Amino acid sequence: MAEPALKPANTQADSSPVLSLRGIQKNFGGVTAIENFSLDLHAGEIVALVGDNGAGKSTLVKIISGVHPPSEGVMELSGEAVRFADASVARERGIEVVYQDLALADQQPVYMNMFLGREPVRGPLRVLDRRGMIEATEKLVRELDVRIPSVRATIRNLSGGQRQGVAIARATHWATKLILLDEPTAALGVAETAKVEELVASLRARNIAVLIISHSLDQVFRLSDRICVLRRGRQIGVRRTNDTDKNEIIGMITGLIESEPA
Amino acid sequence: MTVLIQPFDKPASRWRGLAGSPQIASLVILAIVLVGFSLARPAFLSPLNISNMMAFLPELGIIALGMTLLLTAGEFDLSVGATFALGPVIVMLLAQNGVVDIGTALAIGLLVCIAIGAINGLIVTKIGISSFLVTLSMLMIVRGVALYITQGFPLKSWDQPGVFVTLLADSFELGPWRLYTSLWWFIALTALAAYILNFSKLGNWISAIGSNRNAAVARGVPADAVKIGLFIVTSVLAGLAGMISAFRISAASPVAGTGYELEVIAMVVVGGTALTGGRGTILGTIVGAVMLRAIRNGIVLVGVPGLAFNIFVGAIILVMLILHAFIQKRSFRR
Ligand SMILES: Nc1ncnc2c1ncn2[C@@H]1O[C@H](COP(=O)(O)OP(=O)(O)OP(=O)(O)O)[C@@H](O)[C@H]1O
Ligand SMILES: [Mg+2]
Repeated sequence: MAEPALKPANTQADSSPVLSLRGIQKNFGGVTAIENFSLDLHAGEIVALVGDNGAGKSTLVKIISGVHPPSEGVMELSGEAVRFADASVARERGIEVVYQDLALADQQPVYMNMFLGREPVRGPLRVLDRRGMIEATEKLVRELDVRIPSVRATIRNLSGGQRQGVAIARATHWATKLILLDEPTAALGVAETAKVEELVASLRARNIAVLIISHSLDQVFRLSDRICVLRRGRQIGVRRTNDTDKNEIIGMITGLIESEPA
Repeated sequence: MTVLIQPFDKPASRWRGLAGSPQIASLVILAIVLVGFSLARPAFLSPLNISNMMAFLPELGIIALGMTLLLTAGEFDLSVGATFALGPVIVMLLAQNGVVDIGTALAIGLLVCIAIGAINGLIVTKIGISSFLVTLSMLMIVRGVALYITQGFPLKSWDQPGVFVTLLADSFELGPWRLYTSLWWFIALTALAAYILNFSKLGNWISAIGSNRNAAVARGVPADAVKIGLFIVTSVLAGLAGMISAFRISAASPVAGTGYELEVIAMVVVGGTALTGGRGTILGTIVGAVMLRAIRNGIVLVGVPGLAFNIFVGAIILVMLILHAFIQKRSFRR
C-alpha cells in the first residue's frame, strides 16, 4: 500500500520508528477485522487513527497492546520483532493504553491508582511506600498540569476530565515507548476535552510515540501530526495533517475516495 | 485553549476528617453502647461478665477478619458457620477413633477447610457464579456433611491435655479476669490482617479488585488468584475458630456456628467495611465484633426478654448501617 504522505520530511527520516507494524491482519473466526495494516510510529509524534464505527480501530489498539495476538503480520518495537503473550508483557515493554471507560479503581486514592500493580515497597516487611508514591504522583501531576484537588483524593470524587487526566498521567509515568489512547475524550464536555487535549499535546515533548483514536475530526486536526484512515478493516491511507483537509479525510472514511492502488 | 480551573478543596479540619471516617464513627458508637450498658447494669463490667464476653469474642472475631478481607475484595462467604462446625467434627472423629493422632487430625481438618475455600473461590472466579449462590450451596453441603458423619450427635471433645489444647484453648488468669489463649490468636491475626490490608501491596490489590475488578486486572493484578486465596483464608479461619471453640467447651457439635455467617457479616459491615467491596477496615471490624458481642450480652443483662432479643440486635445493626450511609454520602459531596 503506497503511502505518499509518509515520504518522510526532515525530522522523522533519520529517527528509526518506535513501533513498526508490517502487514498486520486479524481474523475473528471468519470475520476479518484488520487486513494488511502497516504503519510506523516515531517518538515525539502523535498519529491519529480514524474511521467509522466498526472500522477496526479498537481492534488495532488491542493488537498493539497485547490483548489480541495478530493473525498475521510482524510487529517491531524499536527494531526488534515482538509478540506479546498478554497485555502485561506489552506494558512491561513500555506500551500503555488509556481507554474511554478508564481503568481506575474508583474507591482508591489517585496515588494508589497511579502505582496499582507496581506498588513500591520498602523495608524488610515490604511495607507500601506511601510517601514515595504520593511524592512521585504529585511531581507528575504538577509537570503535566493535571488539575486535581489532591493526589490523595478518591477517584470517584473527581470529574470525568480529572479522571481521564489521571489515567493519562499514569500512562505517561509508565510508558517508555508508546501511549495508545482509545477515544480518550468521548465521555467529556467541552472544557474537559480541551484540558485533556492540552495534556496529550504535551506528551510530544516527552519523546514517546502517541496513537490516538478519535471520532472528532476537529480534535484530530488540532492534535495530530499524521492521520491514518481505516475503513472496514482496510487501511485507506496515511496523510500528514498539514498536507490534507477535512474533506479529504471524510472522503477516505466514508469511501468517496477509494484507497490508492498499491 | 480554555484552561479549566478546578476549585481546590478547603483542607478539611482534622475533626471533620476524623468524624467522617467510618471507623471513628463506629468507635464513638461503641463507647456510647459500652457506657450505656455499664450505667444501666453495673454487672455488665463485672469480671465474670467480661471474661464471658472475651471467651466468645475471638471465635467470631477471627472469622470476621477473613470476612473483612473477602468483602473488601467484593465477595462474601455464607459457608463459614458450617465450616466452623465441620472442621472440629472431622478432627474429633479422626482423633477419637484412634485413626490418627490429634496433631494429624488437626492438620487434616484444616486441609478440608482449605479445600472448601478453594472450591468456593474456583467456582466464583472461574465459572463466574455469584459468591452468594456458591457459598449458600456450600453452606448446605458442609452442614449436611457435618450432620451426616456425626449422625447428628455432638461429639465429646478431646479432653486430654496436650500441646494443641494448650495452644488453642488454654485459659489463664489475668488480674480478676479469666482469659483464653484464643485471645492471643485473635490479637496476632488482627495484626496480620491489618498489615495485609493497610501496609502491603496485596492490600492495595484487594481494595482495587473490590473497587473495580477490570481496572485491577488491566494493571496486571492477578484478581482471581487473590480472590481464591481470600476464600481459602476465610474458610481456614472459620475452621480454626471452630476448633478453638470445640476445645474450649469440650464438645464438637455438628450444628455449632449456625447463623454465624450472618452474625460475622453484620460485625464487618457495622464496622464500616462496604458490603459492595472496595473499602475495608480491620479496626472497624474489631469495633463491630466487640459491639455485637456487647449488645448481645448487655441486652440480656438489662432484662430484655429472650424472645425480643433479636429485635434489638437487628435494629441496632440497622441504625449503624444508616449512620455509615450518611457518612459515605457526606464524604461524597466533599
Ligand atoms: N473479540 C471480537 N470477536 C469478534 N469480532 C470482533 C471482536 N472485536 C471486534 N470485533 C469486530 O471487529 C470489527 C472492528 O471492531 P472495533 O471495535 O475494532 O471497531 P472500532 O473501529 O473501534 O469501532 P468504534 O468506533 O465503534 O469503537 C467489528 O466488526 C467488530 O464486531
Ligand atoms: Mg472502538
